[in-house]
Amino acid sequence: MNRFLIVFLLVSHVVQSKEISVSLLTKSDQELANVVVYFTPKQKQGLAQTHEMAIMDQVDTQFSPHILAIQKDTQVRFPNSDSIKHHVYSFSPAKTFELQLYKELQADPLLFSNLGSVELGCNIHDWMLGYIFVVDTPYFGKTDIKGNLTLDLPDGEYQLDVWHPRIKDKLSSLSRQLTLPRESEIKINLKSALLPDVNQYENVSDEFSDYE
Amino acid sequence: MNKDLKWKMESYGKVLQVFFLNLCMLSVNCIAAEVKGVVQLNYVKADEQPSWFDKDTGILAYSKDSANVQQALVELSDNFASGLSYVVVANYYQLGEQNLGISQAQISYKPLSNSKFRWRARAGFFYPKLSLENVDTGWLSPFTYTQSAVNSWVGEELRTAGLELTLFSPGRARNSPISWEFHASLFKANDPLGTLISWRGFALHDRQSLNNDRVPFAPYPSVIQTDRIFHPDYVEPFHELDGNIGFYLGTHIEYYKQSTLRYYYYDNQADPLAVSQERLYAWRTKFHSLAVQHKFNGNTRILGQWLTGSSVMGDRFVFIDFDAWYVMLSHKHKDHRISLRFDKFKVAEDDIFPWDPNNSDGQGYTLAWRYDLDKNWQIGVEQHINKNAADIRATLGQKVEINQQQSLAVLQYRW
Repeated sequence: MNRFLIVFLLVSHVVQSKEISVSLLTKSDQELANVVVYFTPKQKQGLAQTHEMAIMDQVDTQFSPHILAIQKDTQVRFPNSDSIKHHVYSFSPAKTFELQLYKELQADPLLFSNLGSVELGCNIHDWMLGYIFVVDTPYFGKTDIKGNLTLDLPDGEYQLDVWHPRIKDKLSSLSRQLTLPRESEIKINLKSALLPDVNQYENVSDEFSDYE
Repeated sequence: MNKDLKWKMESYGKVLQVFFLNLCMLSVNCIAAEVKGVVQLNYVKADEQPSWFDKDTGILAYSKDSANVQQALVELSDNFASGLSYVVVANYYQLGEQNLGISQAQISYKPLSNSKFRWRARAGFFYPKLSLENVDTGWLSPFTYTQSAVNSWVGEELRTAGLELTLFSPGRARNSPISWEFHASLFKANDPLGTLISWRGFALHDRQSLNNDRVPFAPYPSVIQTDRIFHPDYVEPFHELDGNIGFYLGTHIEYYKQSTLRYYYYDNQADPLAVSQERLYAWRTKFHSLAVQHKFNGNTRILGQWLTGSSVMGDRFVFIDFDAWYVMLSHKHKDHRISLRFDKFKVAEDDIFPWDPNNSDGQGYTLAWRYDLDKNWQIGVEQHINKNAADIRATLGQKVEINQQQSLAVLQYRW
């Protein structure tokens, strides 16, 4: 009887969650990677809060990852994997801060409690640019190089949103209301051309830091 | 690497580190300060023509086959407050007159800004950022040990005690692949600039002059005799002799981090009639410098620099036009870096004293291989050959035109 109950509970759990895949195409039908896709449930009670520390590293004088998506109230640690100093800052309303990152000292993590995008720069290496995007849900991810993201979500009603620094479309126009398990594949097509791609700044790094 | 050897090298490294830390740790803030250091020990197979450091006319630094401390420097930096920082580079040199001293000391202010157009400033004793070759700690070259003729001269005679203001726009802040900087500086205390290339000619080495340095050269009769120009057989490059303020302007343009162009115009505005009690002259020296670099990928780059200008001292006692350029190819494969550079340089006179010949020229090749054993230790070898001529050698009864070569094996420790 007990064994039956366990199997029933497992099956019922499986039934209650649903795999959903999102694909995002640009105006010219190109895949767009690294897009933050997040599903905010209508029913917010009992939502899990992650207690994991997120990491925004500095590697080869670049932010790594270039875009970090986190749930609200997540702490982010900024290690420095380079052998030189960084001076990370943000002027974004969602989190304004500056952090001196010495090469062998660990700075205290920062708590991100406000929603939205936080644009990161380095006052020593002006070409460095990174983003932290804070969402109010545990259900989020980033599209892969084919512009796809697949997540397992519990059944229910959600608002689907996307964010990427190159998207020019009004973000609210890309937002969708959806009910699971009714929908499983969602395609989003951007209407405006993307902002210029300057990620080539990431391609050729230099081990020599000039006069800095 | 053999464990014993590695342990020994690490121990030596620690000893060097402690020595230099003690040397420079006068500041009570040293715990928070960032300390970088580089020590290079070499064995040199020298050319037979002795160097200017031995008051002769060779244009390579070493005169005898020998083991030497080639470089030993500590770079100390820290932040006073947000955006306000200092950097001091202290060096020890075995070669030359001043063995211990400061090669750079500056305070910089770079306010935090997310504007598309930003500014920063620095004050102190520093290099204009005109070189794309000297991009390692302490203005060293990470490519070859023997630096280009252009930057060997910059290292030995040029430094500005002044204030530099920079307006700049990082491309990424504008969503653009192009970044630019515009530099303007007012400075003093670089009046004797031009002395060395006028008399000795261009040279190839890595000896940067220190804050109070004196660079010797051969006792050319036309220079030192009291009935001739009557100038000592040395120069102290960082003197202010006339009270005039010099200036330089520079611009940097970058396409992503891939291609870079730097143009500078320098004019020390010196009064060529000003002369000190020790009979050092102010030389009115002006030049244009254009440096370019293109990285084909993360491992291979080509870079070069062209310097052209003039210098005059006295009532046209010496007047020279100078031109020097180099082109270098550098490739990194895993922990190996191979660099090959070609240098060409020329000094042409147009002055009133035929008995003081200042024409000189030359060209040379430098090939270096450097291998990182780990993040601290590096070994390398370098071969340099050149052919150079200096008319003034005839006044010492020497051959005007000579071929020179120098081989170096170098052990480097950095932290």
